[in-house]
Amino acid sequence: MISYQLTSSLIGIIVAAAIIFLVRRGHMHGPYAVWWLCAACVFFLLGLFPRVVDQFGVALGVSYPPMLAVILGFVMIVIKVLLLDLERSRQEIAIRRLVQRVALLQDRLHELESSQSPTD
Amino acid sequence: MLDSPASPRCAVVIPAFNEETTIAAVIDRVHQSCNAYVIVVDDASQDQTIAEARRAGARVICLPQRLGAWGAIQTGLRYALKNDYAIAITMDADGQHDPGFIPALLQPIEQNQAEVTIGAAPARVSNARRLAWRWFRMLTGLKIEDITSGFRAYNRSAMRIMIKSAASLLDYQDVGVLLMLRNGGQRIIEVPVAMQARANGKSRVFSSWLIVAKYMAHTSLLALARMNRPQSKHYLSKSERL
Repeated sequence: MISYQLTSSLIGIIVAAAIIFLVRRGHMHGPYAVWWLCAACVFFLLGLFPRVVDQFGVALGVSYPPMLAVILGFVMIVIKVLLLDLERSRQEIAIRRLVQRVALLQDRLHELESSQSPTD
Repeated sequence: MLDSPASPRCAVVIPAFNEETTIAAVIDRVHQSCNAYVIVVDDASQDQTIAEARRAGARVICLPQRLGAWGAIQTGLRYALKNDYAIAITMDADGQHDPGFIPALLQPIEQNQAEVTIGAAPARVSNARRLAWRWFRMLTGLKIEDITSGFRAYNRSAMRIMIKSAASLLDYQDVGVLLMLRNGGQRIIEVPVAMQARANGKSRVFSSWLIVAKYMAHTSLLALARMNRPQSKHYLSKSERL
């Protein structure tokens, strides 16, 4: 039977490697890459040293220490989703302004083409 | 100050989405009422709205993707501001608004009594919608009777506020727009007008109970978020590209 530490190490290393692979291949934009590299480090360290969670849990007075990792993970996911929606809203503004700008430039182009056509 | 209500320095902005049956008649009625420049902002219609509007003599700006009525109006306001129009009037493409009231909308702005005028016809709506308006007035402290009227006139100062990026996330020309204007120090006056029943179809905002519920939740949140927003220097001075 293999040890718990080996299983968690494998999971941590695989997830961290996958994230680093995606970041290195340029699939992720700068600020997101930083977030996910941090996440990869956490996966890697917690995978190698799963008992750290137990020690923190005891120190913080959590009666069932593994719940600390679950709660912290959940909080981080909520923060990430919130940041995603903020970014999505920023992009929505940018898209709407660009659509308007394209329409105004198309109109200007149409006007210029119309004014030049009699002399062509 | 404008020379007359029929001044060419006045632009009429009409957002249109699939309004081929009414758009030409609306443009004709505007031309008969005043000599304002008519700008139709086509919101990616799938019918003959663009051709009909051009045939009726309007300038047509075509959005490549649907932005909704407010997004189309904001495009028209950006055009009007960039092309030095002193006043922009917004009205619907469905024949609901009577262009004969345009001079009445212009008058308070010409006389420097307001930066924005709203053509108000609160009697046209149902009791349920009147209740919704009252709710929004209570949340925001706005003293405006007809919150959702799209028949409005804006001077350049109001237009500058309306083209800001912060206004680009709004979906309707109602509470969010009014709060931005109020927080920007604009004076708003309501002018009583008569409104026709829509010639084609019904309100898109109040078309189903689910949409009404979403609209109420969305607008109530917007009202709560912006009700007491202080006027900041940044808010007033931030320049926006046209």
